Amino acid sequence: MKEPVNEYRLEMSGISKSFGVVSVLKDVNIKVKHGEIHALLGENGAGKSTLIKILSGVHQKDSGKVVLDGAEINPKNTHEGQVLGINVVYQELSLVKDLSVAENIYLHKLGASKFWMNWKELTKNAQELLDSLGFKIDATATVRDLSIVQKQVVEIAKAISEDTKVLVLDEPTTVFDPTDIKKLFNNLLKLKEKGISIIYISHHLDEIFKIADTITVLRDGIDTGSVPVSKTDKDSVIHLMIGRELKDLYPVRDLKIGEEPIFEVKNLAGKDCIVHDVSFSVKAGEVVGIAGLGGSGRTETAKLIFGADKKKSGTIFLEGEEIKINSPVDAAGYQIGFVSEDRKEEGVFLPLSIRRNISVTSFGSISSKLGFINIDSEYKKVLGLIEKLNIKTPSSEVNVKNLSGGNQQKVALAKWLSIDSKVIFIDEPTRGVDVGAKIEIYKLINEVAKKGVGVVVISSDMPEIMGISDRILVMHEGTFYGELQKDQFSEENILRYSIGEPLK
Amino acid sequence: MALTLKEQLSSPSGILKFLVKYNTVFIFILLLIFSALISDVFFTSVNLSNLLKQVSGIGIISIGMLIVILTGGIDLSVGSMVALLAVTFAILVNLVVLPLAILITIAIGFGLGSISGYLVAYQKMAPFVATLALMTIARGLGFIYSKGSPITFKTYGGLYMSNFANNSTLGIPNIALVFFIIVIITMVMLRYNVFGRLIIAIGSNEEASRLSGIKVNKYKFLVYAISGALAATAAIIVASRTNLGSPNMGMAWELDAIAAVVIGGASLNGGKGTAINTLMGVLILGLIGNILNLLNVPSYPQQVVKGGIIIFAVLLQRFESK
Repeated sequence: MKEPVNEYRLEMSGISKSFGVVSVLKDVNIKVKHGEIHALLGENGAGKSTLIKILSGVHQKDSGKVVLDGAEINPKNTHEGQVLGINVVYQELSLVKDLSVAENIYLHKLGASKFWMNWKELTKNAQELLDSLGFKIDATATVRDLSIVQKQVVEIAKAISEDTKVLVLDEPTTVFDPTDIKKLFNNLLKLKEKGISIIYISHHLDEIFKIADTITVLRDGIDTGSVPVSKTDKDSVIHLMIGRELKDLYPVRDLKIGEEPIFEVKNLAGKDCIVHDVSFSVKAGEVVGIAGLGGSGRTETAKLIFGADKKKSGTIFLEGEEIKINSPVDAAGYQIGFVSEDRKEEGVFLPLSIRRNISVTSFGSISSKLGFINIDSEYKKVLGLIEKLNIKTPSSEVNVKNLSGGNQQKVALAKWLSIDSKVIFIDEPTRGVDVGAKIEIYKLINEVAKKGVGVVVISSDMPEIMGISDRILVMHEGTFYGELQKDQFSEENILRYSIGEPLK
Repeated sequence: MALTLKEQLSSPSGILKFLVKYNTVFIFILLLIFSALISDVFFTSVNLSNLLKQVSGIGIISIGMLIVILTGGIDLSVGSMVALLAVTFAILVNLVVLPLAILITIAIGFGLGSISGYLVAYQKMAPFVATLALMTIARGLGFIYSKGSPITFKTYGGLYMSNFANNSTLGIPNIALVFFIIVIITMVMLRYNVFGRLIIAIGSNEEASRLSGIKVNKYKFLVYAISGALAATAAIIVASRTNLGSPNMGMAWELDAIAAVVIGGASLNGGKGTAINTLMGVLILGLIGNILNLLNVPSYPQQVVKGGIIIFAVLLQRFESK
């Protein structure tokens, strides 16, 4: 190996980035040495992924400087990033399912230089690479047929090639069991010996303290500085990750919680997702928060209950009676609402007017037996909701795509309020919503609960979930790891349960 | 949005916006004026009623195409269905009483459409593929049942139908009346009925529809079935006009129907389109054919002009969203 010229292989300094008016990164600095494993930590939404995407060329920074081996770089896309030697393993798998393992590993090289592919050699090389990682995977297999663990390994193999200088791993172990993790760590140590710089993103503090040399914590888009692992401990890292105050955003909860659970789930498990052994109940008028890290199964749980995904097992009770929910049609029939976290793809109808969006769930009450809509009562209903939810719009005929994020979210909520739901699941109620609209949405949730509706709020925003919930269930790896009562609410406690640690 | 006509027309950019918004009507009127100026015979009742008779068949299947396209699908089978169902009707009208013949033909159309609908909605087959298969099956069956040659109407019922199809009421050809009634019903259904609202919702965002508790599969199934029933109605009309059912009828009509719907401003991604604009699309296509015929332009250049109009209309619509 050549003697390194610069002390640091990678220096990112003064990186700032905003999306629209939302500032995601503010003057972030991170320096990674040759052959260093550098852990990047932070809560959901702290800006870790954005920082990595700027490094790899997915996003372009607004300001700042990225220096690789002493030369400033500005990758315009991921291909340029790869050519420079920056390879990223993202949390969401990005394999081509219908190609073979070998083809996926060398995808970036297919068609790059030669006209003819040497399939034999390519497959041989891929197999050698996989074998050297210590995992049993057939390089000729189609990716579609692999298990999720195997897919993750292929993803990692893809990122390791002879010219990799910086390797970024974003939550690589969420699907791994302890023996797999051990294998992965051995590989990382081997890569480290070769002088490759590794940026390792994880919520598992145990892992970090086992493998990393240095830790950088991001909080709300600002870096809190880098510390060598030897000079810190878990508790101070958790403190660094939280370190902010609850703002005065949240309405005073008007407690009118019923005695009996209005809604109850027992032993829920998903067919195609990690959710298992989920049991909980909601009382009328209660706001239950579901916290947990991304990928812990929160959204999946809600979708299972709502019938949008297939259940493996589980019983559901509404007002004490067992009900069968096999599809969202059934759920809506029982007056159970679900507001998706993915507003644009799953929540609202962007090209349609506010009126058409809101009334889509509530034709029963405003149409005749033959399905003819009473336009007058439709207007009355929709205008009433627009006023009540304070949706800012000149008229009910404005297309939803022309509204701001906060107002779009209110439309998504209005859809379920218009049918007098008994239970509402709200997934990420305020993602991408400005502060003003946030307050209004919190008030609204409060009011809905006051009417005796059972509300379940899923949120990654810790101050939010503590501010609006009466009780918080924390998910970890597909099931509820713990429950927090109001007097136990703290970011630290939520975080501890989220990463599978007991409370202090 | 809530601008009045006057406000829209009060500025030059407002006029442009207005033209873009109502571009199909605008193109239609332009074509009308152009036709009237260029040919003396255009504005005669014979020519106009001929024009209406010519477009009615394609018009009816275009309405079926519209509701399928609104859900984000496509129905390639309608042209062949017209052939098969025209043959079916010709056979039936010679066998059973007229009302029964009509009823059975429409029921068969509904049934054939249901096959596409089942494959698309419940078997998750791509609409293009499912209806492509139905297209060749229907054409093949048409030739099998007719033994390759046209079947003429021989009974009193057949005679009654051909009288009906070739006569007018209050100056409007009867078959055009059938077409217009279907347009009006569709307009009302799309605007004021839950069915119309839901198919538009499904086309504009299928996942959001599913998560809103809408029976997405049921409605996707239904639109193909209805498209089939409308193809049967068109088949009865075209067969009656010529007094026979032939397996060569409706050749490439599905493409004209798609063109009419697209000229009418509908989005092939679904969720956008109206019956009245599809009617305009049908009339525009018909007008182009008609005026070029009057000018003695041979059929091949006609196709070139048609293609040009489609491109022009769709380019104009691109300004709409801006």
